[in-house]
Amino acid sequence: MLVMSRRQGETILIGGEIEIVIAHIGRSRVKVGIRAPREMPVIAREVELVSEENRAAAGATHEALTGLLARLQPKSSK
Amino acid sequence: MQTRNFGTIAYEADSALEFPIGLPGFESRRRFVALRFVESDPLVYLQSLEDPALCFVTMPILSVDPQYRLKVGSEDLDRLGLPATRQPRIGEDVFCLAVIAIRETGPTANLLAPVVINLKTRQAVQAIAPDSEYSHRFELMPEEVAVCS
Repeated sequence: MLVMSRRQGETILIGGEIEIVIAHIGRSRVKVGIRAPREMPVIAREVELVSEENRAAAGATHEALTGLLARLQPKSSK
Repeated sequence: MQTRNFGTIAYEADSALEFPIGLPGFESRRRFVALRFVESDPLVYLQSLEDPALCFVTMPILSVDPQYRLKVGSEDLDRLGLPATRQPRIGEDVFCLAVIAIRETGPTANLLAPVVINLKTRQAVQAIAPDSEYSHRFELMPEEVAVCS
């Protein structure tokens, strides 16, 4: 991975079409401005992780659930 | 309403949950109902009202982790119509669900991004916790739960 040091207000250019500005540096987080073509999706990594989890969750089969329930519920309630 | 898993279900119009921006990966799905059945307690099903085949399996987040500390970012608080001045309280201001994924390696709960529902307005978001140490794949340990019975 290429690592660059930048100060607040400085910019990085990627491929002529993408511009990344270090907008603000706080104590534990930085604000980053991104200028990119409209058709290029820009999302935080966590959003992609959660999307993947949701897609996996939406595919849960009934059989798998029955197995989960059998383990979650007290045996007496069967 | 017809559903894939539950056949035909009836629901009150005012029990529908509104997700103003959908859920990550399902951005166009905005309306859901939460279904709970005695035989599948403590699971809560989030059934899409727009797609009969779309249903998320969830659990109240405090059933997964009784010590769970909810942290909702200011943008999500805004979407929920809640004040940004303090964190919402589970059970008082909001209802909070963890989405469950079932893989071959076992079921996991997404504690990084709980579904947060405003109890008053029924607006909801899947809120990705900022700076969170919670896992998006928290392993549910059913063997351990079973011991409690």
